[in-house]
Amino acid sequence: MKYTTFNQNSINTLDEPMFFGNPVNVARYDQQKHSIFEKLIEKQISFFWRPEEVDVTRDRVDFQKLTDPEKHILISNLKYQTLLDSVQGRSPNIAFLPIVSLPELETWVETWSFFETIHSRSYTHILRNLFSDPSEIFEDIVENEEIKRRAADISRYYDDLIFATQLWQTQGEGTHTVHGETHVINKRELKKKLYLCMNSVNALEAIRFYVSFACTFAFAERKLMEGNSKIIRLIARDENLHLTSTQHILNLWAKGKDDPEMAEIAEECKDQARDIFMNAVEQEKEWADYLFQNGSMIGLNKQILCEYVEYIANQRMSAIGLDTPFEVKSNPLPWMNNYLNSDNVQVAPQESEISSYLVGQIDSSVSEDDFADFEL
Amino acid sequence: MKQPDDAFCIDIVDTKCVPAGNDKTLLESLEQQGVAVHYHCREGFCGACRTKLLTGEVRYTTDPLAFIDDDEILPCCCIPTSDLKVIVPL
Repeated sequence: MKYTTFNQNSINTLDEPMFFGNPVNVARYDQQKHSIFEKLIEKQISFFWRPEEVDVTRDRVDFQKLTDPEKHILISNLKYQTLLDSVQGRSPNIAFLPIVSLPELETWVETWSFFETIHSRSYTHILRNLFSDPSEIFEDIVENEEIKRRAADISRYYDDLIFATQLWQTQGEGTHTVHGETHVINKRELKKKLYLCMNSVNALEAIRFYVSFACTFAFAERKLMEGNSKIIRLIARDENLHLTSTQHILNLWAKGKDDPEMAEIAEECKDQARDIFMNAVEQEKEWADYLFQNGSMIGLNKQILCEYVEYIANQRMSAIGLDTPFEVKSNPLPWMNNYLNSDNVQVAPQESEISSYLVGQIDSSVSEDDFADFEL
Repeated sequence: MKQPDDAFCIDIVDTKCVPAGNDKTLLESLEQQGVAVHYHCREGFCGACRTKLLTGEVRYTTDPLAFIDDDEILPCCCIPTSDLKVIVPL
């Protein structure tokens, strides 16, 4: 079905599925099939922040004091996170917008991706402060084998869905040969690709950031790189919200509250979905291994980090109806909770003190003089 | 009349029973009793404190955004309105 930016047919979006229904026409939010996405948009917008609000200048001094293995840990994590947010800043838009059918979900996807671009900009903000010329760091992201391996796995499901959608929207259903390769395109196959892609995104938001988060916060526990930690806290708060959205999408499908065919696919592809998650867990553990190959840092080692990955994996797998395969019962890094608590995410002083920074502010104080020239 | 601090009894399966107030969130009550519940946002959007509710009723102080199943609650943003029986992974 050809994509159109403004569908001229009148459609009742309340009867549409989340994806693969009619293209959205009017961006209206007065009625919602799944009101959760409208609530997530509101919450996400209320989190708005700019990297420049966070002062990272003291980090440069701290960075010079770190040992070489610690520098390796910090920089590698920044590279990995840069990769993750490069993918997430564009892929939900490109993969999901051409097939989305609900205005509130369409806007959620756009809002979500926009925040990932803020994250990307914040890595430049951090790295510019640490190095006079951060090009070398950015350039290594497409050369470093450890990072490339992860990139391939993360982008695979997106690329698959995007390509199949393009074929479907230009050639329609059927068997198509492109560059000597045969592709079978039908709605069911497309929906399967969407289901696997959503699981891969869910695993990314659920697991892939947390090894880096733990390292950043472990530095902050030692009062090191606190500007960096402040930014990562803001990012972690956003990522938690993004994870909530993918968990909702997967559960709406699995519980038959959206497209009934997606409920069948969820059942049919359950093992594949589990493999995607387990694979992400395995890769994160390997990442921990790579981080600590030159030596540990105070307060963290490979084993405890892997246990933490297993601990959150258990929780996040159960949230989407999967089993909890790992033994870990208690949180191996309890201090992480303090950094992920949204109450502890401080706003920059200028944001709370200088009124021009306030968004949507209203002066609600009314004095008697205001009515001086008022007559009935 | 019961004090607000021990208005209700929270039966944590396989662990112990603890009192909970009706003037603070269930998470705060449990923490006060030394029960370590996993949490992140404490605002109902992340779902880190998702807990299985076997019996009892709660009310929410804020609309929970995180995904929770029909038999689950978010202790960070709910207050018990009756005695509860819950499963807290410890």
